Amino acid sequence: MPKHIASGLKYLATIELKKKGLTQQKIAEELGIDRSTVSHYLNGRNLSWNSIAVARTMTELCPKDFLILTKVLVKDAKKAQKIISTCQNKDFEAEVLDSCIGCGLCVDLCLMEAISLESLKANVDSVGCCGCLLCQEGCPTNSIKILEVNNDREY
Amino acid sequence: MIENTKEVKDKDFNIKRSAEEIRNLSFKDHLCIGCGICESTCPVSAINLGDIGAIVRTDSQNSKLSINEGKCVLCGMCSGICPADALIFSIDSQPISKISSYPKYDAYAEIDDDKCIYCQKCEIACPREAITIARSLPDRSKLVTGEIDINEEICVYCGICEEMCPADAIDVDRTPESESIRVNKDKCVYCLVCKKSCPVTAIKAACRICSYGDYDINMEDAVTKGSSFIDDELCIKCGWCEGVCPTDAAKVKKPFEGTLTIHQDKCTVCGTCVDICPCDVLSFPKPSKSGEIVNNVAKDEQYCIRCGACAKACPVEAIEVQVTNVDYTPTKSKSWIEKFEALKN
Repeated sequence: MPKHIASGLKYLATIELKKKGLTQQKIAEELGIDRSTVSHYLNGRNLSWNSIAVARTMTELCPKDFLILTKVLVKDAKKAQKIISTCQNKDFEAEVLDSCIGCGLCVDLCLMEAISLESLKANVDSVGCCGCLLCQEGCPTNSIKILEVNNDREY
Repeated sequence: MIENTKEVKDKDFNIKRSAEEIRNLSFKDHLCIGCGICESTCPVSAINLGDIGAIVRTDSQNSKLSINEGKCVLCGMCSGICPADALIFSIDSQPISKISSYPKYDAYAEIDDDKCIYCQKCEIACPREAITIARSLPDRSKLVTGEIDINEEICVYCGICEEMCPADAIDVDRTPESESIRVNKDKCVYCLVCKKSCPVTAIKAACRICSYGDYDINMEDAVTKGSSFIDDELCIKCGWCEGVCPTDAAKVKKPFEGTLTIHQDKCTVCGTCVDICPCDVLSFPKPSKSGEIVNNVAKDEQYCIRCGACAKACPVEAIEVQVTNVDYTPTKSKSWIEKFEALKN
């Protein structure tokens, strides 16, 4: 069952990447799956619609739940990051205050590996940010603000 | 998921967080001067300074510092701001003093070997025993010149010359039938004491310097050579070495500027500050006559580093330490700058 939901997530990611105009070969490389699987997804073959519905529901959960569930279902960290950033339906912007002490706890907490330290200050890559707020919650000096931004993304 | 581990060894400890990079904070109790700057700097209040007065003045088994590893976020601020290098924070085994984005005190102590005469005054004065002056003395035989000869036909092997010789240069074997006398020319300084004390005038000796001067002495042979070493870990840049150096070879730049005030009206002369001061700045004045009771504490501000350990330990708040300037290397981090600036009061 978990495998099927993971496939459902990959299916959703495949559709998203197709919408961006990627070729089947490119989609296969991005998601680390076979090209034939991409072809099956895009042609509606061998699909479990039930699993896809569960996967879609996951993408609609709050970002933290979506992130953690996806991490559990997709063991490979890089693949999970790719699926999350492709399927997330919101965009985020991070603001790091000057009170940041450069402890790097956020760097270690971020499951999307979107944070780095630059000159003793956290630098959050807004593109990679999934909005889970793990960094904001873990920051000892409350120096990170993650803001959800309006966007035109269709979903 | 992300947890710190703590390793305790005697009074020292290590706190570590292993994730993408390994962050490690190590504390060395013997280097801690008990100033408490780390305690007031820690942004997450994870550090507690022990009762330094009691710890220093007794055989306490307690560490001067304790850090709650559950609270510590391994930011390294305590290490950057510790004036005694007792806390060392490193990322992937690289101490932050070697990472340019981290600020550190602009302070140093150095001895210029070209000026140093290896008198060892600094080594003796250093309150932290951080200085080692190694020296090799000139060959004594190259600083004297002369001649000595013993006529064994006359010598009675009485041994008086051996006993008199201040340089321990004469050996007399007084065993009956196998008597002998020998002069070690590497040791003899041609002082002529043997010649003068010989009861039978068997010794002929002359000091050439007395007659002709230093002409056959090479003055380069008279120079003491050596090397100086300051243990950076122990040195707290107090300036004693600079203060006692007769040749201006030692130079010290302190991290803080400021003042030290003792309120004699409040002071109970308990001596806690005298025991705690890492720079031997505070002392009991010598009584002018024996039996006189000392009723104040004296200070030698020249060597004060304004660490504030004395003020913190004073049980009656009789000491005030003011920091007016802090010298540290530039950083882009506002929060770190704020912490260094906060040392001024």
